[in-house]
Amino acid sequence: MVMDEIIAAARKEDRTSLTELESKQILKEVGINTTEIGLARSKEEAVAYSQELGFPVVLKIVSPDILHKTDVGGVKLSLNNKEDVGNAYDEIISAIKKHQPSAKIQGVSVQPMARPATEVIIGMSKDPQFGPVLMFGLGGILVEILKDISFRIVPLTGRDANEMIREIKGYPVLEGYRGQEPANIAVLEQLLLKVSEFVESKPEIKELDINPIFAYRDSALAIDARVILEP
Amino acid sequence: MKDSVGRLDRAFNPRSVAVVGDKMEMGYMWLRSLANFQGRVYSVQIDEKELQGIAALGVKNYSSLLDIPDEVDYVVVAVPRAITPEIVQHCIQKQVGAVMLFTSGFAESNTEEGIRLQKNITEMAREANLNLIGPNCVGIFNPKIGLRHTTDQYWGDGGNVGFISQSGTHATFFTLVGEVNGIRISKSVSYGNAAVLDAADYLEYLGEDEDTKIIGMYIEGVENGRRFFCCLREIARRKPVLIWKGGGTEEGIRATASHTASLAGSPLLWDALIKQCGAIKVDNLDEMVDTIQALLYAKPTTGNRVGLAAMTGGQSVVITDAFARAGFEVPLLTERSYREFASFFNTIGSSYQNPLDISSNLPHLDRIIRCLDILNDDERIDAVVLDLPVVFMTRISWHIPGFFDDLIDALALYKDKSDKPLLAILISAHAESEAIQARKKLVARGIPCFPSFERGANVLKKVVAYYKSASLQ
Repeated sequence: MVMDEIIAAARKEDRTSLTELESKQILKEVGINTTEIGLARSKEEAVAYSQELGFPVVLKIVSPDILHKTDVGGVKLSLNNKEDVGNAYDEIISAIKKHQPSAKIQGVSVQPMARPATEVIIGMSKDPQFGPVLMFGLGGILVEILKDISFRIVPLTGRDANEMIREIKGYPVLEGYRGQEPANIAVLEQLLLKVSEFVESKPEIKELDINPIFAYRDSALAIDARVILEP
Repeated sequence: MKDSVGRLDRAFNPRSVAVVGDKMEMGYMWLRSLANFQGRVYSVQIDEKELQGIAALGVKNYSSLLDIPDEVDYVVVAVPRAITPEIVQHCIQKQVGAVMLFTSGFAESNTEEGIRLQKNITEMAREANLNLIGPNCVGIFNPKIGLRHTTDQYWGDGGNVGFISQSGTHATFFTLVGEVNGIRISKSVSYGNAAVLDAADYLEYLGEDEDTKIIGMYIEGVENGRRFFCCLREIARRKPVLIWKGGGTEEGIRATASHTASLAGSPLLWDALIKQCGAIKVDNLDEMVDTIQALLYAKPTTGNRVGLAAMTGGQSVVITDAFARAGFEVPLLTERSYREFASFFNTIGSSYQNPLDISSNLPHLDRIIRCLDILNDDERIDAVVLDLPVVFMTRISWHIPGFFDDLIDALALYKDKSDKPLLAILISAHAESEAIQARKKLVARGIPCFPSFERGANVLKKVVAYYKSASLQ
């Protein structure tokens, strides 16, 4: 099991925070679609992965010590050719060396740039009284401003998943407001149920944040994810 | 049957009660409230000054629980806090069914001694498997057997509504306000700091209790949230459970700590939990009483379209605003309905669109009932609301003796043959006591009534949402 290996490796390194790459590998194992990822340890590997995955691609720093990748120059978007990828790799490495020289660098992830869509988020945190709780909301800045989110206590039933999506005020956006691509609600419900089942079966997961998820007409794709383990 | 159910049976249905530490200063409130208890009552008091007063009440006094030559099912403790460990010890030795600690000044006082004493009695009770209710509460009310916590409470006939309250005041007020509104208690309990027995224990008990059809709860916090969640989810599937959560704001959360030493928890999560379990959220005593009244007496509907019958023009406008604001449709009626209205309805000074303004048709009982029949039969209507302004109704009775009583009789007959919910709205204006009398009469005939259009609209919204949610199970 990849998941158990990842968790064991993190434990060995005495860290509770998993990288985006590790988090996505875990999500993949429980059947949640994530963007494909190649972990490049050199400029050449980064270029090779980008050709394999197809342009445009995104490069992101992979380091357990870096929580906010964008803030330290660790993310490069919309890279359309080999040269851009090569330059981006160098720029990321030198930016990290400059801004956070002590960070342990595992490499740089190469991911295809996903087609934009309505963004949603799913999170799990643990309440001292009620245990694991799932949160659902629309992604982007609106969720931060409007706090348009819904909660359910794990384990979720099908009905809970159905209702927690429909009770957010921004639900019409998911239905395809004014010609926008509608989200596939059934897929999002399944996603919530999978996350519920997963966190219930793995009590050592302390927090989970899948943000954003791109919600398409026929599928949903986890673009970024972070798992925090119990100490 | 769950453990807690059998365990609490003796506590809720005692055949003998002992009151420890009742005194003149409190007007012997506990012994007096037990005046009609259908079982044996004992007093335990060592203060010589109190013995005469206790004897005057006809209650036999002992100097220790252990001296009572009988089994004791339920013990009321009203001694100073420092003495409670000794009394709890006696309860354990005596193997009582349950002990209820009226005494306060424990964890909620946030004093070193209070916290230590609570820990002390909690450990003793847990170890001995003693049912300890409270501390800092008024305990059980079982009207059928005359087990009360105040003489204001009724006894004799019990009802079918259970109430579980962390606050003694809310438990008492609910029983009293409920009675005026046609709600009678099967069993209720106020449980204070929940040191040993918590909300989930009482919920499990009333969930299994055959006399209890509906359960209301006032909760400030729970110790084991997951257990409460599982328990509520299971019971709310079988019986309506209403939850009034105290400490729903930052300021309120601070108050719960000093009231019952409860961890209030996130209001957002409580909302989610209530919804997830299929329970009904209410925010105050009025909503609790209104919603239970509607569940007991209004026929169920999942529909959103109301037929509104007001007695005056002004009320016909604002009743419509109130229901529309609450999210109801107030549709035009079918042609068939309008043809029927045209055949008898006096439209001078009145109208029958929807809302109806009955005004000039008023003293004619048959016309009022006919209006309701038309609304009931109209396929565009899901629920019928009738405005009964108490002042006008009783004034008509001055020149048409018995008018209001006859109207109530006619409404009761109408209700029996109708298939849609009927809600009466009794606005009291300045005649509050007349309104209470009228409300009692109506609800005694099975007609739910509410004191304002807004409260009527709010309660209908709550029960429609409940029946919708229950129908999806």
